[in-house]
Amino acid sequence: MGTNSVSGRAPSRRQVLGGLAAGAAITGFPHIAGAQAKAIRVGMPTILSGRVAILGTSSRAAVQLAFRQINEAGGIGGRTLELVDRDSKGRPDEAAKVTRDLINNDGCEIIIDGEASSGAFAVHEVIRDLPVLCLHTCSETSSLSADPKLHVKTAFRCARQGIHDAVAGSTYAARIAKQKGLKRWMTCSPDYAYGRDNTAEFLEFAKLFEPSIETVDQVWPKLFAPDYTESITKILQTKPQAVYSALWGGDLVAFIEQSNLYRLFANVAMFSGGLGDPPVLTAIKQLPPGLNTAYRYNRTYPAKPANTAFADGFAKIAGHEPTNWAWQTYLGCLFVAEALKRTGGRTEGAKLASELKGMAVAAPFAVGETITMRDSDHTIVGYPVAWGRTVPKAPFVEDFSDVDWGKIVELETQWKKGKGYA
Amino acid sequence: MRVSLMRVSPLRAGLARDVAVAVAGLALLLALPMLFPQPALRDFLIYFFAYGLLAMSLNLLVGLTGLVSFGHAAYFATGAYAFGLLMQSGLVSIPVAALAAVGGTALVALVIGAICVRLKEIYFSFITLAFQMFIHSVIVTWVSLTGGDQGLRGGIPRPPILGLDLNDARVLYGTCAVVFVLCILAMRQVAQSPFGYTLRMIRDNPARANFLGVDVTAMKLGIFVFAAAMASVGGLILALFVSGAYPEFAFWTTSGEAIFMIMLGGMKVFLGPLAGTLLLQTLNHYVTIYTEHHGLVLGTVILVIVLGLRRGLADVLYDWLQARRARRAAASDPVPGSFEPAPLADGALIKGRTV
Repeated sequence: MGTNSVSGRAPSRRQVLGGLAAGAAITGFPHIAGAQAKAIRVGMPTILSGRVAILGTSSRAAVQLAFRQINEAGGIGGRTLELVDRDSKGRPDEAAKVTRDLINNDGCEIIIDGEASSGAFAVHEVIRDLPVLCLHTCSETSSLSADPKLHVKTAFRCARQGIHDAVAGSTYAARIAKQKGLKRWMTCSPDYAYGRDNTAEFLEFAKLFEPSIETVDQVWPKLFAPDYTESITKILQTKPQAVYSALWGGDLVAFIEQSNLYRLFANVAMFSGGLGDPPVLTAIKQLPPGLNTAYRYNRTYPAKPANTAFADGFAKIAGHEPTNWAWQTYLGCLFVAEALKRTGGRTEGAKLASELKGMAVAAPFAVGETITMRDSDHTIVGYPVAWGRTVPKAPFVEDFSDVDWGKIVELETQWKKGKGYA
Repeated sequence: MRVSLMRVSPLRAGLARDVAVAVAGLALLLALPMLFPQPALRDFLIYFFAYGLLAMSLNLLVGLTGLVSFGHAAYFATGAYAFGLLMQSGLVSIPVAALAAVGGTALVALVIGAICVRLKEIYFSFITLAFQMFIHSVIVTWVSLTGGDQGLRGGIPRPPILGLDLNDARVLYGTCAVVFVLCILAMRQVAQSPFGYTLRMIRDNPARANFLGVDVTAMKLGIFVFAAAMASVGGLILALFVSGAYPEFAFWTTSGEAIFMIMLGGMKVFLGPLAGTLLLQTLNHYVTIYTEHHGLVLGTVILVIVLGLRRGLADVLYDWLQARRARRAAASDPVPGSFEPAPLADGALIKGRTV
């Protein structure tokens, strides 16, 4: 009787809950697992607000373009790539926090770090703690990858770097100085660590290549200064034959505009490391012809259909021409996709890192056929380091003159020894 | 003897209650990650501890003493850099580095404070801002020591201490929670001590305090140094968390954020700034996920609170509770001529008190 009554009674609450749990385990978990298997989430801490928001917005547009193309081509073994971006507001501690959030909370298995300078170092330390694959695509500070003390096994730099630019720029400048007899040089760079380091490295190598170069004066306007009159009048008084500037972004636009008022460039040859970025070139109302600038990005260089297609695709998403950060980030996505293909979609940081070491990818921006992720220090080589001259209308910079990468690597090795990095 | 006991026992009761609240708070903080094991919660709370200490310590100056410092983040950054540099030297353990960083920051604050506390009102505010920008400039320009605008690179080592491995995120969280609660308890004891009440008197009427024989400058200097030391602990926690220190820690906007936190949370309730920190950090966390126009959203929220409530959230809550209590007391004691508290809705009765 008792047994019968037990077997015939309604299920208890505990049994119902247990049944529901089992049902969820059978039906729900595979669904979640399927969703996880479908998309590979890639996190991107970057600067999306404030003065340098274009760094983040253009980098984000580059990832969107790359992921769309990769996903439309079938993804990674049927899995799509999904971007999760987050604004760090340009604050390093915030960059560290959002990177941890992206990995721990949002389930991102790969990080494309769109942070500049100090933010990139903050992200670098997070990756030391949480070793997923990370590609720094915006930081140009050489020590990030050159200093072995900072080495992180799963972190890579997919961006130009200061020492490469210094060698390339000074090689070009020394050649022009020799041709035109430019001996009296001045510099006008922002007064902070990047501005001073960049200028010192440029002058060091320029004097090495052309010993007749003499620095007659240096001016250091404040970073983000609105008025450059004092610096410009100082240049006019000193009457150098050439000026080198590490100014960038809006500061450089203001400097060029204000220099136009004084007709500074009529008698002075200008060499700039940051002028070649399309948003800077297009922001200047009257771009003077003949200013010498490093390649930051240009749709006509390297002259390849793939490069033009990239520029068109990017412009459709972003509404403007690609930036320097855009091509670097797009290239980073190509490296990520290739590494994922080689691991068969496995996303472990160590596994992906071992594939990335020494990897060469065919890229629209390669000077030759490919750009290589150097095995020894996790940084790219073979990207464009050319210099050209400005023209008032599109493409704004032409006559690009490239520098031999063999020479850059040789001098980079000497520089590393001097710094105690090698 | 009897009189002495009567004087001491309320203090002891207050301390016992504070310790009990601190233990309960710590237990809750330690239990939270067990109930919600997502690492993101731990990260968020560590961030909250760091900025909470910055806001709480600033309120010792702003709310308790009436000294509106615009440069408090300087000590937050000094603690972070001193700790980071000592740990990178590899010569000391974490507790020694932490104590040295806090002590060093206190010394810096002693020198700066000795100049600042002689000034009043807006002049005090501006000189603290000037010293902050001076420290920021030193950090940015002394590249060989601080890494300049790139920050302190290479990570901050976390060697094990007494069997605790701070490389384990759970251990790091637990340690930060303990340090945070201890600092809050220390600040509470200072606020409730005779020294704390002297500071209230200085805030409300410095001339009268001086007339009563209080060395106003020395008292202000004392709380200035203590608040700086507490802020340095916040910086130290953040340095441990992000494994670095950056010039942004010492920028004026960080001090501005701390003032926002105090404004949002309120100055009258002791833990008010923590409520402001929680609100600002939560808003910041969630708004940033959904939009990069977070400044617009945060600005709107701050405007609504500042213009709509005209007090911090904790103050509003406290005033409401007090008003309700007063109404109940009035309703249960209708004897004519009996004492009736003044209306509390405008906070008149509790004006100037730290609760």
